[in-house]
Amino acid sequence: MAQAVPASVTRLIDEFSRLPGIGPKTAARLTYFLLRAPDDQALGLADALHDLKERITYCSICANLTEQDPCPVCSDEKRDQGLVCVVEEPLNVIAIERTGHYRGVYHVLHGAINPIEGIGPDQLRIKELVDRVASRPVREVIIATNVSLEGDATAMYIYNKLHGAIRVTRLARGLSVGSDLEYADSLTLAGALEGRQEMQE
Amino acid sequence: MRLSHLSLTYFRNYARLELNLPPGVIVLYGNNAQGKTSLLEAVYYLATSRALHATSDRQLINWLAKDDPIPHARLVGEAETQQGKKRIELTLLTEKTARGSRLKKEIRINGISRRVMDLLGHMTVVLFLPQDLALVEGSPSLRRRYLNITLCQTDPDYCRAVNQYEKVLSQRNALLRQFQEQGGRGDRSLLTFWDEQLAQHGATVVAGRYRFIRELEREAREIQRDLSGEHETLRLRYQPGFDAAAATDGQMSFDVADMGVSTLPQLPPKEITKRFVAALHACVSRDIARGMTTIGPQRDELRLLVNGHDLGLYGSRGQNRTGVLALKLAELAWMREKTGEWPILLLDEVAAELDHYRRSYLLERIGQAEQVILTTTEPDLLPAETLVDATRWRVTDGTIDTALAS
Ligand SMILES: Nc1ncnc2c1ncn2[C@@H]1O[C@H](COP(=O)(O)OP(=O)(O)O)[C@@H](O)[C@H]1O
Ligand SMILES: [Mg+2]
Ligand SMILES: [Zn+2]
Repeated sequence: MAQAVPASVTRLIDEFSRLPGIGPKTAARLTYFLLRAPDDQALGLADALHDLKERITYCSICANLTEQDPCPVCSDEKRDQGLVCVVEEPLNVIAIERTGHYRGVYHVLHGAINPIEGIGPDQLRIKELVDRVASRPVREVIIATNVSLEGDATAMYIYNKLHGAIRVTRLARGLSVGSDLEYADSLTLAGALEGRQEMQE
Repeated sequence: MRLSHLSLTYFRNYARLELNLPPGVIVLYGNNAQGKTSLLEAVYYLATSRALHATSDRQLINWLAKDDPIPHARLVGEAETQQGKKRIELTLLTEKTARGSRLKKEIRINGISRRVMDLLGHMTVVLFLPQDLALVEGSPSLRRRYLNITLCQTDPDYCRAVNQYEKVLSQRNALLRQFQEQGGRGDRSLLTFWDEQLAQHGATVVAGRYRFIRELEREAREIQRDLSGEHETLRLRYQPGFDAAAATDGQMSFDVADMGVSTLPQLPPKEITKRFVAALHACVSRDIARGMTTIGPQRDELRLLVNGHDLGLYGSRGQNRTGVLALKLAELAWMREKTGEWPILLLDEVAAELDHYRRSYLLERIGQAEQVILTTTEPDLLPAETLVDATRWRVTDGTIDTALAS
């Protein structure tokens, strides 16, 4: 049977459809957009994809994505290598870096414990964290997993593995800055109430 | 409280509806399959974000909307309550995803975007359906659903706990299935977190249900007496799927059926949690063997007893009808006490379902309600007292004719 659409076009549509949040219609739109786009734009994307897979590896210390091993953060002598912030995803590192207030280093788990999805401690970089704490001069681990059941389960698991050996802390949960109580949802408010603190001068 | 305005877009067989609603009794009449029950369902959905029966939310979206780029249904209700005016907007969207589509609920209360959970309690309703009989005669899951929907309307802590409980339960069950597949091997310390969460939220659920059932029973008993000419004593028996009262640390009785009347006293939640955790530990091997959690509120049961006999097993149709009516009227009294105002009453085809005596009793008890919306195929079956001041609207094929008032 003759094909109305060339195979290389359907192939790209299929590839796009496999991405999260992209349905077949969007996939087709993106494909035709690239088809009509100038060469350097389409090929630039191809290059970027290629580099992503060729150049990016995991840092052997913190497991973050990096082009050099150890990553720039782990190689930075001005950063406090004894303070380790544990996050679920590489994107979380970017968020904390944006605060400009954190001078320690990171450990990226690449997920959270989630039995329904078949993710247990062995699928995460938890063993690497435990080894790291044992073999390097780490003073404190700050657990910054998400505020969700899965994030909490992960935090608790890590806490049980590490406490006693070193100081283990967890990010406070509370209201966002500039938020009106009226607009806060009840779960956030309940969390903020639970995590309230003594006032200090 | 009452609903003053209702606007529907692509909800069930209503393509478009704008309706101002007066206080008092509103009678929706018309032939079958015209949209009477669907209108009650719309009001119920605004209050609880649940469809009648356990149908999926997808079925609520009008069939015509299927061809839209983004098929959606939209409901807007304006209610007058003791806490002022409330505007509730609810949009149901089907979003296309790589693996088909999924349903999204968007909720705004007085213009502010909210979680589904935060919807509950803004508008309270009590619903009477012909199918309520299944509460007595049907499966235990129907009664648990009933407990959840009713309690969630008035108790946000309960609602939060029951939601969390369900999430934790599916995670724990997934973990148990993994252990089961590995022939019981695996790191069991992974259960600790889920056990504690399950017990903590489970304790809130059990305590909430226990309190509710006890309060409900007080009301229901009196109503059953009235309805049966003093002949029948109604009891509500709560049989928790984990009975903290019967359990002591480490050892407990598992067979709910043998336990009879629960004596769960007012144990502090901390104590229930502790005993629940201990019980989960005690039955972990069995849970792994079955690949699921075998104790807890997901197995709770509520039985109705008349003069000591279980209605579900021995009740006559008539007794069961009386029992359900007593239960629903008790729920109404309970709701009024909790919220300090009349909920909106939604009555579907009660004229056909109830005999003359029960019907009059019901209509008399709700005579003072702020707003009653009732449906019927035969308005002439309703007592004259009810019809006198009622607003009468004819429902035809997804439209409501308000011109023909009374
Ligand atoms: N999603 C939907 N889209 C369009 N029509 C629907 C949908 N769901 C149900 N209906 C139809 O709406 C009609 C009204 O049902 P219902 O409200 O139960 O009528 P009544 O209570 O007046 O007998 C029925 O014919 C039913 O098939
Ligand atoms: Mg009907
Ligand atoms: Zn690194």
